Amino acid sequence: MATMQSSYKPHYYNVVHPLKDVPEQKCSSEGLGQIAMTPSVRLSLRVLRGYLMLMTVMLLYHVLDLAGALKHFKL
Amino acid sequence: MRVEEAELEVITRPPASGLVVRHSWQKHVLTFLMVFGPGLIVMEADNDAGAVSTYMQAGGQYGLHLLWTLIVLLPVCYFVQEMVARLGIATGKGHAAMIYERFGKWWGRFSLIDLLVVNFLTLITEFAAISLALSALGISPYISVPVSALGLTLMVVTGSYLRWERIVIALCLIDLTWFALAYVVQPDWAAVARSTVNPGIPAGGITSSLVFLVIAIVGTTIAPWQLFFQQSCVAEKRLRFVDLKWARLDTLIGATFTVLVAGAMMLVGNYGFQHRVVFEDPAQLAVAVGPLAGKFVRSGVLLLMVNAAVLGTTAISLASAWAYGEVKGWEHSLHKKLWEAPGFYATYIACVGAAGAFVLIPHVPLQLVIISVQVFAGLILPSAIIFLQLLLNDHALLGDPWVNRPWNNYINWTIIVVLFALSLLLAAQVMLPNLFK
Repeated sequence: MATMQSSYKPHYYNVVHPLKDVPEQKCSSEGLGQIAMTPSVRLSLRVLRGYLMLMTVMLLYHVLDLAGALKHFKL
Repeated sequence: MRVEEAELEVITRPPASGLVVRHSWQKHVLTFLMVFGPGLIVMEADNDAGAVSTYMQAGGQYGLHLLWTLIVLLPVCYFVQEMVARLGIATGKGHAAMIYERFGKWWGRFSLIDLLVVNFLTLITEFAAISLALSALGISPYISVPVSALGLTLMVVTGSYLRWERIVIALCLIDLTWFALAYVVQPDWAAVARSTVNPGIPAGGITSSLVFLVIAIVGTTIAPWQLFFQQSCVAEKRLRFVDLKWARLDTLIGATFTVLVAGAMMLVGNYGFQHRVVFEDPAQLAVAVGPLAGKFVRSGVLLLMVNAAVLGTTAISLASAWAYGEVKGWEHSLHKKLWEAPGFYATYIACVGAAGAFVLIPHVPLQLVIISVQVFAGLILPSAIIFLQLLLNDHALLGDPWVNRPWNNYINWTIIVVLFALSLLLAAQVMLPNLFK
């Protein structure tokens, strides 16, 4: 708790620094496994894969271009 | 949501003691001050050496014409980083760990390796900036770079997160000097106000260099390491659910401060534009405008460039060390002493040391490093931001209180689509330059 009203002094507030406070229950992924493949998750990951493949192809092209391996193919 | 057994044990402990205040407003102010930090640091550290260079180039090449971009970027920065802070508070874990746990090893490794590579390359540019700026002040790189690396190491090995945070906040506040520099160079304030709210096209029209400078401004304002850094930082500070509103305010203040500082950098660059100074980096500009604007501007720009690089280096190195430590399952906390979290500190020191050493190699290909940063950032930013958005819609993990609201999703998907397109365009311009001639 960030702030608590003291039981014996109802008009006073006890402000605790997060690092000095008692740990609280967080949202845990334990036992949940991987994220559920809903249509939006599946679509997002497909788009991401496509994007990364496109970037990889561009990067390969750039490396080959810098190495001079593509000069015979240029118009 | 599940309660860990270890947590159950500590939850039953009596409430921790704190500071007692009498009024509700005192409670709010004090709580905010206790929570304040990660939002300001992540935003201001993003005004690193690369950002100083980009913003000053924007002012140097186009005067006041690109000031409006910063106003557009303010809400974008805030919405992205608010999601990061919310996820960090809800899970108490870093971004790299969450990607591993919810998307599997393949995506986890891809994100981690890409992050480590782009961060390392960015660190090289930070040390290059330190070397350039201090060389202009007469200090040899063989002194400035090792001393900076040592100072950056000493900052984190004290075994106290709060000590590190206070030092870094002080460094962030040094950036207030940019406002003094902007005032000294006496821009036309009416024109500044007009250009800020009215997107104008510079003389010469829309050219490819203008388009790519705008993209570079977007790229430098929203960097991939920021997502990993703030979430780990929030987890490190153990922010609680009730702190979320203050973490949001911290993030908003950080975003606003950063955008204002970026604007001041553009105004200083604009001084070079007005005096027809051609420059490739801020150190050159500082030296060139020194005789016109005075010693304060010359030394101010050079020292603030160093400050920007130091801020960027500590945040980026920590982003790498936290991410690597989380995934490896090592102790990864600034609360730990050096010998209690050796892997975590070794990663930080290795990042700082190797990047510093790289810069000292004679004839190092810095241009290749800068291009590689843009390419790898183009890979990591869209993927990291997609994972962030999907995690913030993960009802099984977060439950209804912490997932995105529909309006969050409309805004964030729009931002993601735009960032995807800009990242692709920037990467394409770097890798296929003939396409844009």
